Amino acid sequence: MRRHAYGPKAWLIDDVHTPPAWADALRAMDVPGVDEIVPAEATVVVRCTHECHEAIGRVLDMVVPADATTRHEASLTIDVVYDGPDIADLADAAQVSIDDVVRLHATGTYEVAFCGFSPGFGYLRGVDRRLHVPRRDTPRISVPAGSVGIAAGYTCVYPSASPGGWYLIGHTAAPMWDVDRDPPALLRPGRVVGFRSVSA
Amino acid sequence: MIPEPALRIVQVGFATTVQDQGRAGLAHLGVPAAGAVDRRTHDLMNRLVGNSPDAATIETLGGLIVEALRPVVVARNTDGSRHTLATGDRFRIDAPAGSVWAYLSVRGGVDVEPVLGSRSTDTLGHIGPDPLRTDDILSAGVDPGSELAADHAPDQRRADGTVRIWDGPHHDWFIGGRQTLIERPWRITNELSRVGVRLETGEFARTTRSEPQMPSIGLVEGAIQITPVGEPIVMLANHPTTGGYPVIAVVDPDDLSDLVQTRPGETVSFRRA
Repeated sequence: MRRHAYGPKAWLIDDVHTPPAWADALRAMDVPGVDEIVPAEATVVVRCTHECHEAIGRVLDMVVPADATTRHEASLTIDVVYDGPDIADLADAAQVSIDDVVRLHATGTYEVAFCGFSPGFGYLRGVDRRLHVPRRDTPRISVPAGSVGIAAGYTCVYPSASPGGWYLIGHTAAPMWDVDRDPPALLRPGRVVGFRSVSA
Repeated sequence: MIPEPALRIVQVGFATTVQDQGRAGLAHLGVPAAGAVDRRTHDLMNRLVGNSPDAATIETLGGLIVEALRPVVVARNTDGSRHTLATGDRFRIDAPAGSVWAYLSVRGGVDVEPVLGSRSTDTLGHIGPDPLRTDDILSAGVDPGSELAADHAPDQRRADGTVRIWDGPHHDWFIGGRQTLIERPWRITNELSRVGVRLETGEFARTTRSEPQMPSIGLVEGAIQITPVGEPIVMLANHPTTGGYPVIAVVDPDDLSDLVQTRPGETVSFRRA
């Protein structure tokens, strides 16, 4: 882990083994002056006040993330109808059957690695190796909210309608994003998630 | 108490939205901060009408005309002045000569329903009120009861026209680091929005520390990303929460307003913070 100054009001910590756990550990410390803690693929960005920048930098060197095995978090199961328009294309690209796609996706255990792209959009890691495929060559202009996608070693649920380049394998009615709920996003970094195949 | 309508949008102009200081604390859920791209001017227009800085204003690229539906105290950076409008008065808001963004404040603040703690229209994540449209009717919040002081605010842009920059986390990925940006003036392109502004393409030679595939990282306002073809892109208030290009430098928050108000085709000069 290394700490890099990111302007006068932020730090970037890179080479973080488990960014969500590191972010949770810092959040639990409730450090005055910390405004945002943003885990990403292998990094955490901490935004803070200018006045506290140096002092918070020293605090960041003392963050100890909880051991992965001791982190307890309520699991969330998302019901999916596996009828996505790209499920056959994904099966072709991965050289497995459509039934295999459903089985492999629905039996996996996933963790939200980080959120980004759009509000409430979580990058879920834990996709079976056999389903690791790149993004589609041509992104869609609009993907409906609730679409379940796979690409680049991650799976996702689109929380709102947006452009998207992932293989769409199904859809869910799970309320991924609701501005009137606290927190508004169903997924947050570190949350453990499973999927269950249901019929339409 | 239902607030009394204060203003009607007669002509909406360009990129006209309600803005405040933005949505804090939700970046880890993918929620952009949003808020006014020129916070200094937003705050200043609020001060002219006696509002606290957290009151919402209207941000526009210009061409906005409003009509007062009751007597109302407003300020615009078009002339940097406060005005008292009588019912039926029409009032035009454009950026001042040589600037990009214009702001209209109204005493009591623009009263729209806050979403996730902010009245800002998030133009990237589509959170908050819709962008304004012609014939929209806006209310103002409760009169703050504050005393009105000066009715005019001079232009706040830095006299020497330079913008201070700090090291970004990837400054050592580039030969010369942020000095590359300091060496010469940079032209602002017409690719600008609330999300960011692109500078003219330059030569950014990579060091051996540079990684070909960078995993995405959290972004901050003022971050200067360098794309693979050498385009510096400065992240503004409505930037996405994460991004995948290395960040060579970060604009000093106190100077960001100077940069965002520089017009396409004109140049900005950087200096070491």
